[in-house]
Amino acid sequence: MSLVQLRATSHQGDGKVIQSQIATERVMAQPYAATRQAIEAQQVEKRFGSVLAVENASFTIEPGSFISIVGPSGCGKSTLLRMIAGLIPKTTGSLMVHGSEVTGPRGDVGVMFQKPTLLDWKTVIENVLLPTKLKGRVTDADRRRAVELLHLVGLQDFAHAFPRHLSGGMQQRVALARLLNVGTDILLLDEPFGALDEFTREHLNVELSRIVAEVNTTSVFVTHNIAEAIFLADKVFVMTPRPGRLAAIVDVPFEKPRDISLLLTPEFNALVARVRNIFATGKDL
Amino acid sequence: MTMDATFETSSSAPKARAMPSVGSVRIINHLLILTVVLGVWELASRMGWVDSLILPAPTAIAASFWQIAVVDRLMWWHFGVTLYESLVGFVVGSTIGIALAIAAALWEPFRRYSAPYIVGLQVTPRIALAPIVIAWLGFGTLPNIGIAALLCFFPPFLNTLTGLTAVDRDCLEMFRSLQAKKHQVFTQLMLPSAMPVIMAGLKTGMTMALIGAIVGEFISASEGMGVLMQRFTFALNMSGTFAVLLALTFMGLLLFAIMEWLDNRIVFWRHDARMLEITRRLNAKNKA
Ligand SMILES: Nc1ncnc2c1ncn2[C@@H]1O[C@H](COP(=O)(O)OP(=O)(O)OP(=O)(O)O)[C@@H](O)[C@H]1O
Ligand SMILES: [Mg+2]
Repeated sequence: MSLVQLRATSHQGDGKVIQSQIATERVMAQPYAATRQAIEAQQVEKRFGSVLAVENASFTIEPGSFISIVGPSGCGKSTLLRMIAGLIPKTTGSLMVHGSEVTGPRGDVGVMFQKPTLLDWKTVIENVLLPTKLKGRVTDADRRRAVELLHLVGLQDFAHAFPRHLSGGMQQRVALARLLNVGTDILLLDEPFGALDEFTREHLNVELSRIVAEVNTTSVFVTHNIAEAIFLADKVFVMTPRPGRLAAIVDVPFEKPRDISLLLTPEFNALVARVRNIFATGKDL
Repeated sequence: MTMDATFETSSSAPKARAMPSVGSVRIINHLLILTVVLGVWELASRMGWVDSLILPAPTAIAASFWQIAVVDRLMWWHFGVTLYESLVGFVVGSTIGIALAIAAALWEPFRRYSAPYIVGLQVTPRIALAPIVIAWLGFGTLPNIGIAALLCFFPPFLNTLTGLTAVDRDCLEMFRSLQAKKHQVFTQLMLPSAMPVIMAGLKTGMTMALIGAIVGEFISASEGMGVLMQRFTFALNMSGTFAVLLALTFMGLLLFAIMEWLDNRIVFWRHDARMLEITRRLNAKNKA
């Protein structure tokens, strides 16, 4: 269980620059919890009828790490993510989140989809507050927290706008703020910026890495862009299609926070080449 | 460069200056066309090109209207009766329609087993049920309300069912991932998502209800605009008939305006101006 706390803002200068500080406190119930994995999969399989969507996936994801899942269309990335989220059941194997078997949607896992899935009839801030509203009454503290989150994603001036009056990139930021408002310590992101143009996507990726570092969560990020996967992650899960298979797990050694200039370094491009090679041969070097 | 410059001056700048006058030019054009049409119509009647028993002159219709509406005040009671029948029929028909649609949307067996009857009822010309409804409900306003409800029922029913079953899958999944309860999914996602389509169904239903009420009055009634209209036609008072028709047009406009007003309030997220207004108000409130 975690408790995401939002600290008071500090208005700097004319109040335009506002820093929000979000601290995640992990309340460890069990003594061995410190070594507990955020996500643990053992020989997880998923079949849709005769289609083997995910074949025999085994992996562990440490708390606080950022994992990218990369692979071509149809290799089972979304399926894997949806199983972790408890949205669809696995066929065989064991899948644990925070040490307990996943049986359905749960409070400690949040999902963000390719589409913003905002409610057109609610203002931006009310969309962010949706998870709170579904749990019960919305208090003033909840509202302040939502405003904080809007600061965090840079939409403080659009709190009362309606989703239809926002650009696609802004809508995804609202979806991200809503996801952060759920206060889960595991974020599952299924190509959240996939529908956006390359400039916006690159920009939002940098923003995303800043934000998840700030809120200190475990993140699983699905993409089919290799450079994007490597740039964001501590580890890249490479999946190959037909049947969907977790072909390799690649460690990304670069220091964080990362700058966009990393994309131009030979080390980075060597890693891109290595991942590409896995797709070509199905094996790691 | 030069191309750009000429483009700029020729298209955007004069357009911006001409903007306010476009509206008034249009209004003037509309009035001109209306005057010409009415003038030709009047002339045709006066010159005897058309029999005034077929098409009375506009001035004759206006005179009749004045007589019936203002001098005799004969029309208002009938106007009220028809309006009442339409509105009650609309409320009854659309309530039943929406309620059944909700049941069908939420309860799969009901949807499956009622589908053949729904289709059957849909392909039957429902106006043909009017005499049966009258046979069941007797005389007075009740059978007309019944026919109005019967005709009004389908559009709200079908639209509600379509709207509720066409909710975005990703949004449903999002609610599921947030562990929303079933009733929350319905009230916070399905119903609002379907609302624009439901409102469209209600608008059509309103028109149908008015048709139903008039048809009921044609078949058997002692009061209402349909009755008044028949009375004038039988007496070969065609200008009176047309005056009643004109009043019915006003009634239709009134009902249409009510529905548009409701649509603007209820599904405000489909109206940009309304959304901007709400945003502006909330921003102002939060500044204060
Ligand atoms: N609900 C379903 N029913 C049947 N088959 C499905 C279902 N969902 C996914 N599949 C199949 O499982 C396989 C993996 O699909 P999945 O959506 O996980 O791919 P993906 O890696 O996310 O692809 P993309 O990059 O295009 O989103 C595909 O072959 C797909 O056809
Ligand atoms: Mg996918």
